[in-house]
Amino acid sequence: MAKASSKIRNFSIIAHIDHGKSTLADRLIEYTGTLSTRELKEQVLDSMDLERERGITIKLQAVRLLYQAKDGETYELNLIDTPGHVDFSYEVSRSLAACEGALLVVDAVQGIEAQTLANVYLALENDLEIIPVINKIDLPSADPERIKREIEEVIGLDASNAILASAKLGQGVEEILEAIVQRIPPPKGDDEKPLKALIFDSKFDSYKGAIPYIRVFDGKVSKGTNIKMMSSGKVFEVTEVGIFTPAMNIVEALHAGEVGYIAASIKNVSDTRVGDTITDADCPASEALPGYRKAVSMVFCGLYPVETSDYDKLRDALEKLQLNDASLMYEKETSAALGFGFRCGFLGLLHMEIVQERLEREFGLNIITTAPSVVYKVNTVNNEQLLIDNPALMPEEGQIASIEEPVVKATIFVPSEFVGAIMELNREKRGTFLTMDYITTSRVSLTYELPLSEIIYDYFDQLKSRTKGYASLDYELIGYKEAKLVKLDILINGEVVDALSFIVHKDRAYARGRKLVEKLRGLIPRQMFEVPIQAAIGSRVIARESIRALRKDVLAKCYGGDITRKRKLLEKQKEGKKRLKQVGSVEIPQEAFMAVLKMDD
Amino acid sequence: MPSLYVHVPFCRRKCNYCAFFSIPYTKAEVSSYLRGIKREIGLRLQEAEGGISSLILGGGTPTVLSREELECLLDSLELFAFQAGAEKTVEANPGTLDSGKLDLLLSYGFNRISLGIQSFDNDLLKKIGRIHSAQDVYHSIKLIRQAGFENINLDLMFGLPGQTISAWQETLQRAVDQEPEHLSLYALTIEEGTPLARLAAEGEEGIVPDDDLQADMYELATDYLQKQGYLHYEISNFARPSFECRHNLSYWRSEEYMGLGPGAVSCLNGVRYKNWENIFKYSNITQKGSKPVDPLETEILTPKQLISEYIMLGLRTAEGIDPELFARKFGRQIQDIYGQLLLKYINKKIIYLEKGRIKLNPSYYFVANSIIRDFILE
Repeated sequence: MAKASSKIRNFSIIAHIDHGKSTLADRLIEYTGTLSTRELKEQVLDSMDLERERGITIKLQAVRLLYQAKDGETYELNLIDTPGHVDFSYEVSRSLAACEGALLVVDAVQGIEAQTLANVYLALENDLEIIPVINKIDLPSADPERIKREIEEVIGLDASNAILASAKLGQGVEEILEAIVQRIPPPKGDDEKPLKALIFDSKFDSYKGAIPYIRVFDGKVSKGTNIKMMSSGKVFEVTEVGIFTPAMNIVEALHAGEVGYIAASIKNVSDTRVGDTITDADCPASEALPGYRKAVSMVFCGLYPVETSDYDKLRDALEKLQLNDASLMYEKETSAALGFGFRCGFLGLLHMEIVQERLEREFGLNIITTAPSVVYKVNTVNNEQLLIDNPALMPEEGQIASIEEPVVKATIFVPSEFVGAIMELNREKRGTFLTMDYITTSRVSLTYELPLSEIIYDYFDQLKSRTKGYASLDYELIGYKEAKLVKLDILINGEVVDALSFIVHKDRAYARGRKLVEKLRGLIPRQMFEVPIQAAIGSRVIARESIRALRKDVLAKCYGGDITRKRKLLEKQKEGKKRLKQVGSVEIPQEAFMAVLKMDD
Repeated sequence: MPSLYVHVPFCRRKCNYCAFFSIPYTKAEVSSYLRGIKREIGLRLQEAEGGISSLILGGGTPTVLSREELECLLDSLELFAFQAGAEKTVEANPGTLDSGKLDLLLSYGFNRISLGIQSFDNDLLKKIGRIHSAQDVYHSIKLIRQAGFENINLDLMFGLPGQTISAWQETLQRAVDQEPEHLSLYALTIEEGTPLARLAAEGEEGIVPDDDLQADMYELATDYLQKQGYLHYEISNFARPSFECRHNLSYWRSEEYMGLGPGAVSCLNGVRYKNWENIFKYSNITQKGSKPVDPLETEILTPKQLISEYIMLGLRTAEGIDPELFARKFGRQIQDIYGQLLLKYINKKIIYLEKGRIKLNPSYYFVANSIIRDFILE
């Protein structure tokens, strides 16, 4: 039997990285006895190793908690986790759309961060009831009163009834659960209306196929229902419905207001797109839930196997990753330098790094990632507009009338002492100042218009290092703007290495070119012959370095007692050589291809 | 028929660059060592039933032993059946030789002396912790010749801390003036755990040799010695015609060898094993009637490893690799395994064929690893 929807609460947790979201989720799971302490591995919700290491959530998770409240009733609390990074803001907005309320977790020392604010706004847009929770009050420097004022002044939210908690010590957990029951409204919705369910995530199971995670708004769904994806019109027959405990548990049906999953032998996750609406094919809803859009790739790069024979393995791996990550795009690409590979599109830089790391870790692949690029709009002299996501495909200078680049509006929160540093950084990054507001007397919110390409190039690291880690950043794409951009080519041993080409503002081209050839000289090991490295715009060389020929690489002594050790040494070196890519007659290490990205100016 | 290496792990003091197993000379430890060797020979004699092709008595410093101790050791070795005319080398350091020891060695059939002189520059010798001076070298060579040895090797090192190219040239000239039949020239390598490695880690300048300077020194030496009539027959070795070291050639031809003494390595029937690098362990285990082998240092070589080593060693030598011998040894044609790789290097003139043998172009000796690496099979 389904619970009356008045006994259901759907909520998520909004928090900045490190503010204790995962620990709090663990405490809630533990307190409600959903999992015993023994079963509760630390931070259940971050299920990928990578997520735990980085302390962030990449894939959404959901869990149903049963809580007996002080009024004696048992409530079904569905916690829908949100990813904690700007790259995934669309996913955040969809999981918030699946809820009626949210816990706003703010660190009692650090206060509100840019990312938190962005997500709070998303929650407010979705009319969510927000419960402020001030976490880490056990810290000696905790200042809950200051944080309350911040919440009131920055967000304009009444913080008088904010809950003081320490997820680490389990303090305030019951109060939070009570507040969820009392303050978050139960879902509205009608079992009798045609089915409308929002997909807020999906995952791939090798036995059950692509499994959408859903929130039912109206109607109900059970085994045997013919469901229809409203964006594509595709129809599937449901083979199983269930809930998360947090393991998947089969139930009879999911009713209006409930959260769970559907299995329907869906072959591709691309058929279970986040934000899409599922309806009953035999009795369809007249219109879909609002807010659906396809994931848009913001950052592109080439992925190539170090060993050309690994191409098929890489393709299979990308296919498998895409099963679980519909926002990962890829298509075949050929590079003169690197051979066969893939052009991949990502939601952002973090998304790119995660995919790259998973390919290496989970699939044991040795890959080369080319420098990330954004999509440029190139207006040609023939009045055509080309979309260029790969610098190698940039038309010749003479063909180009103008180039437009994507620009973002960036919001930065920072202690006021660092305002100067932020302004300096944004000036270097070709930013245009928009606004500056004092959040409190000591904290400032700055907004800038910045080229997206500058954000993906070393921006975040610089921001952190110049503000001792205190700044937080959020950004959104606002459009395209014309800029004086040129393509910079790198020639190694006289040949253009297409994978090293990048697009850069004209005024920076010389300095970047100089820096990059110097960097490459340090990264490329000495070869058996001298190797010149040049940076060029068109046919004009703007910087040159050369790597002198290797002259010593020898074992002086090799007698009976040395042989095993020497063989092993060579074996090890040979293994290390696998991380080098043969380009023409030069062997180039993987890092060289990322050098374009990691130059500190 | 294997060759025999006997390790004498004693030195008056350890040199700053040395990573070999050696300990300071003490009467007590030498006597426990000598008893151990005797027992090991008893345990392993049947491994050399077909005889021994050549011998090196090495170290350490074998000549640091007293005459009596040396005689005891040589006596024990008499149990082996050495091939007629077998090359028998003893390694020696200037300052540890006298005519008594030399006569003794001669009487036991030793016909080659390898003298570790490293340099003729007294400042450098001190810096690297050698116990002798250039004068000791002249004196030792004179003694050796007077005793009647007709085959002398001199070990030299280049790229020593602070050594200039002209200082190296002078050392070379002085060495050649002594008319040795054989010269070994070793590029200084900073080995882990040595005093030089510690100094380098502490940031002392000029310890880690400069690659380009060492390469220049190597080029200078190879040119000069060839002009003086020495054959450059292995990366680090030079000899007058017919004075190539037969014992070492047998390593580079991947022939079998037997090693006696603590820390010595044997390679017989495709198994390589190493004795305990510890005098007491060595002595105790042999006393219990077991072979003093360190089980963690035993390796059953796979065919791929055997082939890799065969190439690794063969390409170090001027005689190179004989494809027919290779095929006989491994039951496969060398070109079936390495065809493309060989072709690539032959096209670049880095490897060449001469009288049917595969050889590394000597211009690439000093970067040999870069090439050999590609031949290591996984």
